[in-house]
Amino acid sequence: MPNLPPNPDDAFLGAVSRNGHHETPAAPTYYDRPMLKAPHWEWNVVTYLFLGGIMGGLGLIQLLAHPERDDERRLKRTARITSFILAAGNPAILITHLGRPERFLNMLRIVKVKSPMSLGVWGLVLYSGAAGANVVRELAVDGVLPRWMRFLAPGFMAPAQALLGAFTAGYTGVLLSATANPFWGSGKRHIPAASVCSGLASASALASLLSTLEGNHQAVHKLERLEMVAGAAELLVLADFKRASGTYGKPFFEGKRGERMRTYTMLAGTIAPMALNLLGQMVKLPKPVDAVRTTVASVLTLVGGYVLRDSLIEAGKDSARDPHAAFRQPR
Amino acid sequence: MATGFFTDTTLCIGCKACEVACKQWNELPSDGFTFTGNSYDNTSELSGTTWRHVAFVEQMSVDQQGGLHDRWLMSSDVCKHCTNAGCLEACPTGAIIRNEFDSVFIQPDVCNGCGYCVVSCPFGVVDLIEKFDPDGTHYNLASLAESRLDAKQTAVQQSGGVAGKCTLCYDRQKVGFEPACAKACPTESIQFGDIDELRERARVRVETLADRGVEAQLYGADDVGGGIGSLNAFFLLTDRPETYNLPAQPVLPSTRQPAGYAAAAAAAVGLAIAGWMIFRNA
Ligand code: SF4
Ligand code: SF4
Repeated sequence: MPNLPPNPDDAFLGAVSRNGHHETPAAPTYYDRPMLKAPHWEWNVVTYLFLGGIMGGLGLIQLLAHPERDDERRLKRTARITSFILAAGNPAILITHLGRPERFLNMLRIVKVKSPMSLGVWGLVLYSGAAGANVVRELAVDGVLPRWMRFLAPGFMAPAQALLGAFTAGYTGVLLSATANPFWGSGKRHIPAASVCSGLASASALASLLSTLEGNHQAVHKLERLEMVAGAAELLVLADFKRASGTYGKPFFEGKRGERMRTYTMLAGTIAPMALNLLGQMVKLPKPVDAVRTTVASVLTLVGGYVLRDSLIEAGKDSARDPHAAFRQPR
Repeated sequence: MATGFFTDTTLCIGCKACEVACKQWNELPSDGFTFTGNSYDNTSELSGTTWRHVAFVEQMSVDQQGGLHDRWLMSSDVCKHCTNAGCLEACPTGAIIRNEFDSVFIQPDVCNGCGYCVVSCPFGVVDLIEKFDPDGTHYNLASLAESRLDAKQTAVQQSGGVAGKCTLCYDRQKVGFEPACAKACPTESIQFGDIDELRERARVRVETLADRGVEAQLYGADDVGGGIGSLNAFFLLTDRPETYNLPAQPVLPSTRQPAGYAAAAAAAVGLAIAGWMIFRNA
């Protein structure tokens, strides 16, 4: 629809006020065409963020696991090796988005504090270094590599990997929330917080799954408690996000996508595994049954984490196409 | 010297000479033809391969006395070359730089096509020139001269896409020419020059128009708010910015970072403490 000019008596030119208030009613749009550009991000960026969250969570898990308890010793090793594999593989996922491998290197010619993407890539690179060092240590302790090589990874590498991991998980949220996208911007606190929680829940799920395969049931017991805490925190953040984002949150919380997010991320991806994990904490099930229980809970959590990231990105696309939201940027 | 554009929309006649001149000088391909039905605007928006876009708004209304008011607004939109540019801050490769003319310039050989600038421009200007073009609407390589095809194919199609937007005709400015659009504009609706001088000229123009009974305002000559600062390509408008698809209250994306990092850190610390308790008590 063409825009009708306001009544000539209106002070419509006062609309650009620098104090943040519109004097005039609802803004016109330009034929309802989008004012912003939608992200060009597909499954590869979704996967990159999802794996970034898991890597981050594994960073914490490898620090928490105590080397003097047998089950945790094995968990530490598993977490370190897995995190290193993910850290080494994640650039490959990003490269499928960039087109050519050497394009990844373009990001290593500069460190830019103002760019979450730049900091995040450096976080990923440093994380790979720390995780790699810790894997060398594991292999040296096990005697796979010469024993002296464990000195290549001094003790501070464990907390270093955890800190870098926290950053990696957090940045996957800031990457979205610190943009011009109205929906993402409306979650400037919630999206980063949810990313950290979801990252840790998914990491615990993956570690439980692997520990179950290894038959390390004691570690699974602890991991599932961690997963429950992270999942509960994620639910709280998402619930508050819904409240705080208001109309900006519509593309994420409502319609088909909202339905899907609620089903896969909140219900099947968080509440159901929480119930299964709680069951595991309270009842001593026979080993094979328990293994199935853990497997189901872990897979559900992982799927939920992926759907969360996917829904965030897809909702961002819709939000960018909505000129009403774009004109009324969240503060 | 800081240079820029002053686009005086009251002088625009909607001829689209700027669009054509820009496409020709910068060897930008056709975007295909779509008939939008939105007045004379079949270009629709700025894109990776469209760096000037003329907006058309036909306005009609009847006032209480039954008098007819009608206006036809036309405005040539372009990258704003922001003082604090969201795209420049976001770019992880350093492909986007501020050049000696104070314009925001993308170095296509450094850009890796990540697309982060696209979501970081508060004005929806910059976009990716996609690598795949199944229906030929995005980047129609067939429309390029044979001689240029190789270079463009390497630069764009095989590269996985690059970001594209107005360069403020960096190459022309380097040899002392004015940008192609300003050169082609027959009514001087697009004026190019020293940014301070343009601002001065624009303020005088607002007053002249006021004397003639036309209410006008400048958009971007001063700070637009939200942390963006003033715009090196600013506009003289006679209606609300939204009418021309310009945001009245844009926000610089990086202003959202501190809250984001703080929230992530809070969540991480909280979960680390919980995790420590779980593992210690076990
Ligand atoms: S208008 Fe957008 S693309 Fe142009 S300089 Fe500003 S942020 Fe960058
Ligand atoms: S697409 Fe290119 S110009 Fe845009 S942020 Fe990425 S590297 Fe920078």
